[in-house]
Amino acid sequence: MNSVNSTLIIILFAVTIIHPQNQLDEQLTKAEALYRNEEYFNSITELKRLIFFDSSKRYSYTANELIGECYEKGAKFTDALNYFARAEIAATNTDEIYNCRINTVKINILRRTTGRALSLLNALDKEPRFNGKKEEINYWKGWAYIFSDEWDKASDQFRRISKQNELGRFCDSIDNQKYSVTEAKILSFFIPGAGQIYTGNYLSGILSLGWNILWGYTTITAFQANRIFDGIMVAEFLWLRFYNGSNQNAEKFAIDKNLEISNNALIYLQNVYKGEKP
Amino acid sequence: MKNILLPFLFLTLLQGISYSQDVNLYSKENRKQFADYLYCQKDYLRAVNEYEEVPGLAASDTIRFKIGLAYLKMGDYDSASVNFSQIGSNSFFYNDAQAEFFKSQFLSGNYGSLNTENGNYTSVKQLKSFAYLFDYEPLPSKEIFISPFEGNERGKLSDFYDRKTNPPYKSELTAALLSTIIPGLGKIYTKEYSDGIIAFLVTGLMGYIAYTDFKANHKFREWLFTGLTAFFYGGNIYGSAASAQIYNAQVNFRLSSDMKLFLEEKDYFVPDYEFCK
Amino acid sequence: MSFKMILIFCLWVTVLFSQTDWEKWGKANVSYEMTRDSGQRNYSISGDNAGQIFLKSAVVVYWLFISDVDGDNCPFSPTCSSFFLQSVKETNIIQGTFMFADRFTRDMDIFGRMSHYPIARNKHFYDPPSLYTLDESKIKYISAGVAVNK
Repeated sequence: MNSVNSTLIIILFAVTIIHPQNQLDEQLTKAEALYRNEEYFNSITELKRLIFFDSSKRYSYTANELIGECYEKGAKFTDALNYFARAEIAATNTDEIYNCRINTVKINILRRTTGRALSLLNALDKEPRFNGKKEEINYWKGWAYIFSDEWDKASDQFRRISKQNELGRFCDSIDNQKYSVTEAKILSFFIPGAGQIYTGNYLSGILSLGWNILWGYTTITAFQANRIFDGIMVAEFLWLRFYNGSNQNAEKFAIDKNLEISNNALIYLQNVYKGEKP
Repeated sequence: MKNILLPFLFLTLLQGISYSQDVNLYSKENRKQFADYLYCQKDYLRAVNEYEEVPGLAASDTIRFKIGLAYLKMGDYDSASVNFSQIGSNSFFYNDAQAEFFKSQFLSGNYGSLNTENGNYTSVKQLKSFAYLFDYEPLPSKEIFISPFEGNERGKLSDFYDRKTNPPYKSELTAALLSTIIPGLGKIYTKEYSDGIIAFLVTGLMGYIAYTDFKANHKFREWLFTGLTAFFYGGNIYGSAASAQIYNAQVNFRLSSDMKLFLEEKDYFVPDYEFCK
Repeated sequence: MSFKMILIFCLWVTVLFSQTDWEKWGKANVSYEMTRDSGQRNYSISGDNAGQIFLKSAVVVYWLFISDVDGDNCPFSPTCSSFFLQSVKETNIIQGTFMFADRFTRDMDIFGRMSHYPIARNKHFYDPPSLYTLDESKIKYISAGVAVNK
């Protein structure tokens, strides 16, 4: 009798402890496997099922956080933010809260709402409970500046982590490659076409210079020959047009060149750089 | 010893029962509950998948109806129609399913199906009237057209009917003729006032310069400006006709967007069946 | 506390966008690259017949030597020269010229623009040749001021 009793007890004990836990745990494992297989849509279904049946809300943080990551992988950023917010409400410790906030920051970086990313990071910076995370916070601030195309500020952030930071040096080199839009505009303001030549668009620069010389010369000779009406017409509709065009092009080319430089750097960061990235 | 053992046994048993109540995630009942939850979260595609994956579940009329509604909400009108049409005449949902079926058919532009013997539902008749407005068959007489409607709706429909039968179009020919007589006048007629005035000024200026050049015998310039005058004069006649067409397209666009707005406000005369309170 | 309120508000707002999952989706590759809005011109010389090839050559020469260096003067998208090319391609040289002449006149009207044209992605007024071929079935009316993804 005694042996039957104790066996019964052991079985009952085993069932109660292992069984319910297993069901939900298994569900989480299943969802995680789907996530690893890049089946994000199905992974979300299983995670939602887990949340629905998890009456004790023990899995609330983990599941919501993983749903957020699934949406992020599918570039459904608004939904991802929604679930990171849910995960944060369910979070039970500082690390979990920090994790949710950083995921939110990463999404804001990726979708180029970098102002939002930076203000979130600044808020994190001010909270004493995240004092141990300063380095990481600076790191993500650097990335936010990279995505807002401010490579000098990005470099500052990375160099706060260490003077010889790899990304810091990289951002500096990109910043040095960039053309000055102001300089290009000033050059073309004084000598039409000079700004274009500064940005490497020689043909366009020479053409601009040529047209400006031609219509400038025609205007001046018209005035000298006292053909005032012709002079005004040529100056207004031809010379001024090409002069303005030259200024516009100087600015446009500098911006285009800078965009090209930035994009090459971003392609490098996305495909070659090995460290953590958004 | 036994004194301690018994309560312990009892407690463990109780714990075991209370835990294992909600644990089989894939039982039929639990999957249905989960699917219902997804449906009310407007997560329709997942809800439909869940309903359809559980054997035997979709045989229920309620579930079939909900699947149809989910497809309708997702804008998949064909799948919605298929599901609504599977609900038999002895079902509690039969009348609603019929109404939703015709709504789906209407939304997918399949106006012909509104012409069945089921046309005795008011909502089907109302949708049918709208189908006429969306270019389905020639319009019936106004009395027949507005007969399924009452009160305010009747006035609104009467207005739509008038706008459809007697649209305030501008004639392309008139526009072109007006611009032939006076450059730009055709565009004034199609209410492109500033375009009309500019066309008049430009054509007039070119013509004037050509005229003075002829007088002054400037051989090259006289032909250049005559050419330019013809260019702008011809372009404006053509443009006036095109402008009248665009004006008419705008009239059609306004009517159809007003009608769509009205239909959406009225929920296509088939109110939503509410499963989620 | 207020932070939580904001979070809850965000949740409420995003519930309105619950349509994401109405279609099955998969992994998406998000490029870090920035995009540029200015449409690139197609300088290749091609056409269905000799006339079109000649016209395209003339337009390319105009683009290279004049249009590209005299600034952004055309308020429309497609630009007047592209409009001319497309018009001729869609109709014929005579009708295309009429369409171009009409466009040229409308180009000079600086008053009526805001109330007539939708807005293209590059912030210019969207005014495609398909509206002016006198073929009603080709007219896709878009209200003035509406942003168009073209």
